[in-house]
Amino acid sequence: MSERPSQGLSFRGALPRGRRLMIAVLASVAVLALWEVATRFGWMNALFFPPPSTTFATLVDMIEEKNLLYHAMVSTGRVWLAFGLSVVMAIPLGMAMSSFPAVGAALEPIVDFIRYLPVPALVPLSIIWFGVGEETKIFLLWLGTFFQLLLLVADDMRRVPQEYIEIAYTVGARPTQMLSDVAFRAMLPSLFDNLRVTLGWCWTYLIIAEIVAADSGLGFVIWAARRYMNTSEVMAGVVAIGLIGLFTDQALRVLHKFMFRYL
Amino acid sequence: MPAPYLVFKSVSKNFGALEVVSPSFDLEVKRREFVVFLGPSGSGKTTLMRMVGGLETPTKGQITIDGQPVEGPDRSRGMVFQSYSSFPWLTVAQNVAFGMKYRLDISPKKKKERLAHYLALVGLTDFANVYPNKVSGGMRQRIAIARTLAAGSEILLMDEPFGALDAQRREDLQLQLRLIQQQDAKTVIFVTHDVDEAVFLADRIIVFSKRPARMLEEIDVTALLGTERTLALRDSEAFFHLRTKILRLVRASAGADE
Repeated sequence: MSERPSQGLSFRGALPRGRRLMIAVLASVAVLALWEVATRFGWMNALFFPPPSTTFATLVDMIEEKNLLYHAMVSTGRVWLAFGLSVVMAIPLGMAMSSFPAVGAALEPIVDFIRYLPVPALVPLSIIWFGVGEETKIFLLWLGTFFQLLLLVADDMRRVPQEYIEIAYTVGARPTQMLSDVAFRAMLPSLFDNLRVTLGWCWTYLIIAEIVAADSGLGFVIWAARRYMNTSEVMAGVVAIGLIGLFTDQALRVLHKFMFRYL
Repeated sequence: MPAPYLVFKSVSKNFGALEVVSPSFDLEVKRREFVVFLGPSGSGKTTLMRMVGGLETPTKGQITIDGQPVEGPDRSRGMVFQSYSSFPWLTVAQNVAFGMKYRLDISPKKKKERLAHYLALVGLTDFANVYPNKVSGGMRQRIAIARTLAAGSEILLMDEPFGALDAQRREDLQLQLRLIQQQDAKTVIFVTHDVDEAVFLADRIIVFSKRPARMLEEIDVTALLGTERTLALRDSEAFFHLRTKILRLVRASAGADE
């Protein structure tokens, strides 16, 4: 035996980059092909489940005729704004939660309670509080991510080795310097990963946020198409969200690799 | 007889109901002395060392340096840990320079000179711009030592710093550490459970009991082996005898209450 044929199926085996990409592409193509074939042979009703060929044709059509890119940009803007707000609030608060036991003790029950509330259940309240404008949409997206993120940040901070903190103090760092120069830097790689994951969650709340009296955004597009049973447009809208997710995630992975080359 | 430099005065420590150092610990350490705390893992010797670093406070008693009570951490007392001893996101040079990051009393130019000096001292000049994940465990410990020296620490507090290294690297680093300590005239408190290491490095060994930590025996190694430590010394009869004597002592104390 000179070489094992493939390690891809051995437990935690190695998989070369090229082969990895090949498997990823093949699997995606296979799913699309199955989907296409299933509607062509009438296993599934194309009216309810438009095949990929129709979906992509509709997608192109919507980009050309119905300003889909504009709607995608509006949605992306909302997601990033709400998510940015979550991040800016969650990082200091999360770090405080695991740095100071009293802060953690005070916030944990509240956060755990809110974390389990379904976002849709708060839509009526949100409308009463913020009206039907942008504020409600941003609030709902923020709500879906902030409390989750808070606990993840607190966890990242908790995992910073005590040694790092003590090294900082024994070379004369003040507490604020320790937090910014050492604790934050130490948790950054895992924080970045958690941000990447929670950004995905933020997108999943988009429909809920954008069905409330919206006249723009992918959620609005999907919801409007649903009203006319235009399933291929619904599907195209969903695919658009998926594609944005796919590209964002891959881009962030590359950025992670680039930023944390020391790992 | 020089005045005592670092003094433990009737120090005891408990974490809640758990007695860590009891009933009380007294010790006087001279300036430039290399003192090894030897004892079983979890015996409380690390806690005593951490109290010198200002990372723990005694429940009772006091620790003083030059007559001044220790209050919190300070860059005059540097720590070298067994693991997580350097920051992975900084290069070797940046890690060493981190020791001076918060020093406003020396100019950037002087910092550069000091950095070069301490990098060379621990033999890491060629690895200055490499991240710690690319160097060996032994080099990572040398980064930590250089950082504490660059910080200007007078007392080095070392918590089983070579515990995770293989035998060959361990020996190299012990030799280097002893040399650096002699040249730079530093006071060292070194915690280990390795008898060989203790005998080779120490001017004086404090043998500890199991928790709660009590001093079982004090051994003046320098009186028996002199101050110069070479690899040849390791093979000498005097070294062997001392090592055996201490091993027996440690074994007896471990078996005493089992």
